[in-house]
Amino acid sequence: MINAKDISWSVIIIWAGLFTIGLAAIYSATQGPVSQFLPDYIQNNFYKQAVWIVISILVLVATQFVSPRTFQGGAYLFYVFCIFLMVITLFLGVEISGSRSWLRIGPMNLQVGEITKIATIFAAANYLTSRRDISAENLKTALTTVAIFLLPVILLLLQNEAGIAIVYLAVLPVVLFWSGLPHGISLLMISPVLVGYFTILNWMWGAIAVAVLTVAIFLLQRRAWLSLTSLILGIIVVIGTEVALQQVLLPHQRARIESFANPTLEPLGAGWNVLQAKTAIGSGGLYGKGFMEGTQTQLRFLPEQWTDFIFCVVGEEFGFIGSSLVLVLFGLLFLRLLYMAVNHKHPFAQLVIISITFLFFMHFIINIGSATAILPIIGIPLPFMSYGGSAFLTNTIMLAVCLNLDSNKRSFSIYS
Amino acid sequence: MTNHRQADKIHASAKVLQGIIVIGLIVLLVRIFQLQIIEYETYTPLSMQNSLRMEVVNPARGLIYDKNGSILVENQPIYSITITPARFNAEKIPLLADILQIEEEEVQKKITEAQQYSWHRTSRLFTEVSFEIFSGIQENLWQLPGIGHQIESKRQYPGDVRAAHIMGYLREATREEYLANERIRLGDKIGKSGLEMVYDDYLRGEIGTEYIRVNAYGQELGSYEEGILDISPTKGADLVTTLDGNLQSLAEKLMENKQGGLVAIDPQTGGILSLVSAPQYDLSKLAGRMDFDYWQDINSDPLTPLYNRAISARQPPGSTFKPFMGLVGMELGLLSPQTEIYNPGYYSRGRRYGDLADPGSYNLEKALTFSSNTYFFWLMDRIASRGMLNTWSDLIQDFGMGPVNNIDLPFERTGIIPDSTYMNQRFGERTWGVGDLMSLGVGQGMVSVSPLQMAVAVASIANGGYRVQPHIVSAIKDQKGEFQYTNALFEKIEWIESNQIEAVKKGMRGVVTTGSGRYYADLPDIEVAGKTGTAQNPFGKDHGWFIAFAPVDNPQIAVAVLMENSGYGSISAAPIASLIIEKYLTGEVNRQHVLDYVLSFKPRNETTGVTD
Repeated sequence: MINAKDISWSVIIIWAGLFTIGLAAIYSATQGPVSQFLPDYIQNNFYKQAVWIVISILVLVATQFVSPRTFQGGAYLFYVFCIFLMVITLFLGVEISGSRSWLRIGPMNLQVGEITKIATIFAAANYLTSRRDISAENLKTALTTVAIFLLPVILLLLQNEAGIAIVYLAVLPVVLFWSGLPHGISLLMISPVLVGYFTILNWMWGAIAVAVLTVAIFLLQRRAWLSLTSLILGIIVVIGTEVALQQVLLPHQRARIESFANPTLEPLGAGWNVLQAKTAIGSGGLYGKGFMEGTQTQLRFLPEQWTDFIFCVVGEEFGFIGSSLVLVLFGLLFLRLLYMAVNHKHPFAQLVIISITFLFFMHFIINIGSATAILPIIGIPLPFMSYGGSAFLTNTIMLAVCLNLDSNKRSFSIYS
Repeated sequence: MTNHRQADKIHASAKVLQGIIVIGLIVLLVRIFQLQIIEYETYTPLSMQNSLRMEVVNPARGLIYDKNGSILVENQPIYSITITPARFNAEKIPLLADILQIEEEEVQKKITEAQQYSWHRTSRLFTEVSFEIFSGIQENLWQLPGIGHQIESKRQYPGDVRAAHIMGYLREATREEYLANERIRLGDKIGKSGLEMVYDDYLRGEIGTEYIRVNAYGQELGSYEEGILDISPTKGADLVTTLDGNLQSLAEKLMENKQGGLVAIDPQTGGILSLVSAPQYDLSKLAGRMDFDYWQDINSDPLTPLYNRAISARQPPGSTFKPFMGLVGMELGLLSPQTEIYNPGYYSRGRRYGDLADPGSYNLEKALTFSSNTYFFWLMDRIASRGMLNTWSDLIQDFGMGPVNNIDLPFERTGIIPDSTYMNQRFGERTWGVGDLMSLGVGQGMVSVSPLQMAVAVASIANGGYRVQPHIVSAIKDQKGEFQYTNALFEKIEWIESNQIEAVKKGMRGVVTTGSGRYYADLPDIEVAGKTGTAQNPFGKDHGWFIAFAPVDNPQIAVAVLMENSGYGSISAAPIASLIIEKYLTGEVNRQHVLDYVLSFKPRNETTGVTD
């Protein structure tokens, strides 16, 4: 059914490269010279991850034998099923470190919110491409798409998984943008986040961001009411953020938000992680301290380095060479996937690949942005590298779907 | 929409998305370049500090030796288990209790106590645990987060010598103390009495520092680079004392179950050979983990064992004052060794002052030997009548009675040698007269001294009229092994003439051979000279005194013993002093009967006259 020549081997090589570096970092963080201080179940993380990788490889191969039409055909059913699982998890789920987002199935704990990512992408893509005349330019269509994304987001927030929820929200504008939402409105959608970010750094930066965005939206759309909306919204965000920081939030809450920009505000609290992460990466230098030689990593100055702070391990032990290699690998992966999407004839496949690419991209930006202190710390894993079976499997499935759609691009387009 | 237009649009959108990806990638690349290449110098030292923890290493406190090089005070390691409650996991209590071999409830109680003290600070959970338990904890530290261990030390007193009043005890420094001295830190123990207090700065030593690799949980992972940055602590200086350990332990034994003070001094140097205050207390119960019940007991004991009677008691010297009266009388020109005074059995001046010595004619030597009161009442009458009180007071003070002698122990107290200023304060100007001063001549009334003052005074007679500076520490041996000697004063009392002192010595020798000291104080092979005394005590039984020195020709030891509420000095204090002299000069005690007598001594319930 599929021909090995049709498979994009470059994607598979990049994928293998990333999970190998990830495994090495997990090994260093959990099996290092002083790992005897770690609980047994964490020392086993390396082996568990290795098992998950083997399972994921099998799943990746298996996915190639699935007919690409199944993804579109089963999209709604899959979505409903996942939402149902999430609701069940809310009541029957296992609570792990404060989040009730895990469903126990036999010996495994499954994070349903991860699988739902695929379902949501399929459902939204199916909705937006099932009819020819449909476009996100249409308000009703856009709102329906928003609703498809918002439902799992609400459930995730109820499960206390704000980190994953943010990723859903970050992918949404890209999906709408690709589906025809005018550029100006797309920019308006993400403008509050950009303005808010710059306002936290400094309110004047926020004001400049408002001005730049308003001008950009005007140039893109040439509609006075849209630019006016952008200006007013921007001013509201700047003032709102500033008032929240200065008046509403208590000093320690404010410090937590601002600590990424100024970790010394709270060096032992929220600033601790920021400072330790920067120290870990910064002290790695050009060549790094060497495998299993990183003092920050080995001496556990960062919590959970095998998950959200895995990039710090790479940065400290493999230095600038190692960490820039990771960045380049990710960059190549994203550009390769984007190329795949553009070259696909079928709109559903295009949208699915675009969505998956930007899902990975958002994880990548937020995770490494947190670790390098250019973004507030948001605890989400780095795709293919962080420890975590559900996430690795889900990410691999998504990659496998892209490969499947790509390798079937000729036959698939005929049926559309 | 045509396919063509749609393809254009897709390409335009793809360009935008491609741009976003490339911009994101460049931002992150620039950021890691900034952190790892440009700011590398900033973060490397930070990561070093992070993984290293500086720990203070306490120095060993200096040791205390006796004059023969035996150790009197040393250090003993004690093992403590600590807890940082915030890091401790309550599920580990059964394991902890098992290793400590203590009931779980007890462990729980201690942990709660530590939690109440502070959630984040490390405090001691159990101190002075056995080495086996300590090793058990050490092996299991990895599965006991929040539990730590430390080796501390406590004072130990090997051998028989206790010398509680000389050595003193240690106690944690108060806030005022550690704020006032930058060498003292919170939790440090400092000397609160005795030599430990006076020589605290020498004994303490200098703290050292040690760099230890730790993880973020503060768990120790070993030393840094085999300790190249470590600074070893400097051990405290050792004290070499003038004490004779064997003599001190005998003196302590002799003073057991008694109340009073004993001071033995080397009359040639002023070095204290032995110093005991009774009742004594047990220093070892105050070392390390203090026995709190014991501390309360000795603090509330009506016999005040913490009070150092040997240097702080203030009692009339009774007849032991007479030799000094004789020397002062000769200096004042009121008598010579040949002056004879007739004793009819009393001295009459306004009223009759009793004298228990046989009636007859007495010169100075005989008056001392048989302790005739008449002779010294007569002398005091002359002194008082001729307005020589202040001169008399000055001359008596030259012997070391009255003002403090600045011995190297804390809480030394002055005695009282009255002069006109004192009398005016006490009675009011012009309201006192000769009658109020008469009893001073026989060492009664207002005159009062400590055993230390009497020891210093009798040492001056023994060494032929030299004032000595009493001291316990003769040398301080620093960490380099260099000795720093204390230069004790040894100064002639200018006005004392040798023929006068010979007369007094003869009289005191007579006390031991034919006078009241002959029963217990006369030694077969050693010529002892002494003087007994009994001080009237308005509050209870009389206090017994004995001062002595030996051998008469070349005195090596001078002793003063005060036995409170024990009656005649000749039967209470004299036997103790003579045993001390015997032990010091012969190395042993051969008079078993005297030893048995002293050990089983019970003061007889009787009142005594003025004479002894």
